[in-house]
Amino acid sequence: MIMDDYKFLFKVVLVGNAGVGKTCLVRRFTQGLFPPGQGATIGVDFMIKTVDVGSEKVKLQIWDTAGQERFRSITQSYYRSAHALILVYDISCQPTFDCLPDWLREIEEYASSKVLRVLVGNKIDREDREIPTVVGEEFAERHNMYFLETSAKESDNVERLFMQIAEDLMKQARSRDLPRYDSNTTTIDGKTSTISDFSCCSK
Amino acid sequence: MSLVKCCFDAPEISDLVDTFIQKCTDPGCCCGCCSAFRPRYKRLVDNIFPVNPHDGLVKSNMEKLTFYSLSSPEKLDRIGEYLYQKAARDIYRKKYGFVIIAMEAMDQLLLACHAPTLNLFVESFLKMVQKLLESTEPELQILATQSFVKFANIEEDTPSYHRRYDFFVSKFSAMCHSGDEPEIRNKIRTAGIKGLQAVVRKTVSDDLVENIWEPVHMDKIVPSLLFNMQDSGFHIKDPGTTDITPEDTTDPPMLAETCMRELVGRASFGHIRAVLQPVLRHFDLHELWVPNQFAIHTFRIIMFSIQAQYSYTVVETLMAHLDENAKSSPTIRTNIAGVLSKIIAIAAGESVGPSVLEIINSLLSHLRDSVKVGASQTEEKQYQEALINALGEFANHLPDYQKIEIMMFIMSKIPYPLVDNQTPADNLLQSILLKSLLKVGTKYQTIHLNTTFPVSFLEPLLRMSLAPDPDMRLLVQKILHTLIDRHHNLEKLNKPIVYVADLELTMEKSSRPDLIFINKHGPTIYDALYTSLQIESNTTENIEAVYTTLALLCVELASAETVIDLLQLLLGIQSLALNSTSITSTQKFNLHALVISLLVLIPTVVSIEPLSDYANRIVNKRRAEAPQLLPEMMMHYPASAEPASKVPHLLVDQMAVCEYLRSGGIDPARLAQTSPYGAGGPGNLASAHRHSWMENGARGSIVELTSAHEVDSAASSPGVQRFFLVNPFQWAFSRSQIKIEKLPEEELTFESMKKVLSEPPEVRKEAEAERRKQISHTFRTATFSELVRRTQPKHEVLQNKLNEIFKSLSVTEQRASEEKLSEKPTYEQNFPELFFY
Repeated sequence: MIMDDYKFLFKVVLVGNAGVGKTCLVRRFTQGLFPPGQGATIGVDFMIKTVDVGSEKVKLQIWDTAGQERFRSITQSYYRSAHALILVYDISCQPTFDCLPDWLREIEEYASSKVLRVLVGNKIDREDREIPTVVGEEFAERHNMYFLETSAKESDNVERLFMQIAEDLMKQARSRDLPRYDSNTTTIDGKTSTISDFSCCSK
Repeated sequence: MSLVKCCFDAPEISDLVDTFIQKCTDPGCCCGCCSAFRPRYKRLVDNIFPVNPHDGLVKSNMEKLTFYSLSSPEKLDRIGEYLYQKAARDIYRKKYGFVIIAMEAMDQLLLACHAPTLNLFVESFLKMVQKLLESTEPELQILATQSFVKFANIEEDTPSYHRRYDFFVSKFSAMCHSGDEPEIRNKIRTAGIKGLQAVVRKTVSDDLVENIWEPVHMDKIVPSLLFNMQDSGFHIKDPGTTDITPEDTTDPPMLAETCMRELVGRASFGHIRAVLQPVLRHFDLHELWVPNQFAIHTFRIIMFSIQAQYSYTVVETLMAHLDENAKSSPTIRTNIAGVLSKIIAIAAGESVGPSVLEIINSLLSHLRDSVKVGASQTEEKQYQEALINALGEFANHLPDYQKIEIMMFIMSKIPYPLVDNQTPADNLLQSILLKSLLKVGTKYQTIHLNTTFPVSFLEPLLRMSLAPDPDMRLLVQKILHTLIDRHHNLEKLNKPIVYVADLELTMEKSSRPDLIFINKHGPTIYDALYTSLQIESNTTENIEAVYTTLALLCVELASAETVIDLLQLLLGIQSLALNSTSITSTQKFNLHALVISLLVLIPTVVSIEPLSDYANRIVNKRRAEAPQLLPEMMMHYPASAEPASKVPHLLVDQMAVCEYLRSGGIDPARLAQTSPYGAGGPGNLASAHRHSWMENGARGSIVELTSAHEVDSAASSPGVQRFFLVNPFQWAFSRSQIKIEKLPEEELTFESMKKVLSEPPEVRKEAEAERRKQISHTFRTATFSELVRRTQPKHEVLQNKLNEIFKSLSVTEQRASEEKLSEKPTYEQNFPELFFY
């Protein structure tokens, strides 16, 4: 029944330029809200959500990072232990798309090489689209990423995005055949396993 | 544990019947006598919760629970687990009142527990804390932090290898950046900082648990603290405060600062970089270098908190950062250098040995790079200034003996001006290095001149004083001023003046070592000054600076022995002013002013009444008839100003000076001799005259001078001394000719020996003959008194020397050796040259 009976704990980090809608995506997913006039995130924000994948409970720790350049040092430190990175751009804003290679470089540098990477084009509710879906798809394909277009405002694909990530991470974790820990040695956080990048905190 | 787990996994724990049935189906749960009932610990836990959450923890029941847990500690883990589950459910149902009570109960249990059993309980305790931190409720987050801080303050005696603080560091760091409503925001940020502080305290003392110094943690902790510190404006108001703020302060910036101090204070050598790197990155990214108040503030905090022996690492790191920023705008670099200059002093006290020179070297190489890059921009200049300041600050806080080392080190980095193919950059570098030398020199407090001016420092410095660039010469003079001036007379002697009495100079009887120094090096110095006065590009400032140097020397080394040398130099300068054709009339007037000012000064300092009167008479006469020959020195004199040669009665007369000296009780014999400083004759006689002088008799001296420079100890030998005195200014000039002048025999190097073997004997014989001729010529033409004088000072010097050397020996021994030694050199040094053949 309750929230704490999760089988897996995964850390998901959202990155991307300022103002592409990272916080709104998280809010929409965790709280079902779309706060208009959301201010710029300072540093890092933290949310949690437990979802059901099949019959299993999966807990997602979601770290929502600030897009602003000046917080880069603190945000980068959060990549390191991430299981999945969601790279967000604004489909109505070309510059946010143009920055993607820079972001990828950062991810290469600071994140684990096995991290699950997802490219998200946000704000599809907007009518002044600048980046066609195909372009985003191509980019994602070229860099071996998942691709999805979402709208936090209309709640399009938001649920799907996180569920997809949860399923994938679970599949990955299972395929590596991680040992299920005894219930009471639960670790304080998710980054426990030295064997692989993906730990599962079972209960 | 798994047993218990599966027992109470059931959703509705409150449902007694359900639980009971479930339990009974599980054979593993027959835990003693209570299998049929709800376990006792559960009942105890349930009882602590009131019906209404506002009533708070039921105290009496809590005491029962505490007693129970103490008496049967093996139950602690189950109690913890059960409390956690209850709280988790309450969070889910948003019954926060009960959550708070559960947390409070856990706190109390934690504090009541004894160390050996603690580990069992801690797991569920931390799970609880995490659970609360994960909620979006600020109140719970703050509560959780408080509990965590309590936990962190407990000393555990058993390490817990598997415990990890990753989540806490991440979450607390995120809290430090809280962007909530202002009133909540501060509370959350404060909680975040306290949490970080607690994590650090918890982990730092124990090597077995998580290494908090890993970049993965420091990259979160440090920027979070800085972010909070920079938010306040107090560092701008008062950058000097270093008060330790009380820990219970609720002001995030103050708290963050306290935490930062603690963190830095705990860092050992290997961890400093882990702290500093994020600091530097933070400043880069937040563009906090310009303006640099906050950076200065932060680095001061670091410097004051860091374990003193590591403080120079901070300097090194900052310096390395300067390297990395080589491509950044000069403004940023200037500001980084500014920060450096502010903190470098703090490090100086602790730096020793190679690290000092390393720092200096690095600063100098930054200067050099800066000169190479773009010389003319004002920003680049400011950057250079900042670097020089940093250098000065650093030197300021080093012990004096290291300052000399540093000055010599800087000196060795200066490209010599006499080298040809000079680029403008070289020139600039020279002047910048001289500036830094001046800066270091200003911080140096001279005690004994001979320690301040080792030959290896004095010599290149004097060579620099003849640089072709007047500004550079000025700089060298300024360096000399600051190093010579021990009694703070510099201000008073800045400009030539004839009313010495008003100056109230601070004087002290000069010490023995000083006199030895000036006897040894005085001629060298005087000569360099004299030569520099001959340079055509001199400005009034240059001449004034030379005046100041001489005046300072005179004041610092006031003694009858030095007076003669100075007067001799003055007369030399006067005749230079009269006879030189290369210098302008302005310069000539300036020189006359210099001469008269010093002439007034000297008898005042050494108190020779008659000479003083004479000097004042001249001053008065000049004021009436030729004010252009008096200070103040001017850039331009009226065209009507008569040259000094037209008014011979206003000049300083050598015979008169001798006379007054004698009546003042000083033997002027030496002064009566032909002055070594261009005694009359046409102006650029300088070289011609000198040449002849050298031909006449300086041979021996030249050779000995050379050896004085080659063999250090020889410099103190009496013979050399003597020739220095006779021939005070020739040596520098002749240095250029030394290669030719030297007789091969006198030089016991491999080269010379080779020369002796390879050269035809005729050459040598010729040279010998020439030399002989000269020596005999000298003795033929020189007066008896001069010959006497030549041998005279040697004894004094020798005496000094011997006093020094044999101080420790017994009196009889000393006397004996004195006799022996004073006999021997007289014989060896004076006669062989004359009677060798």
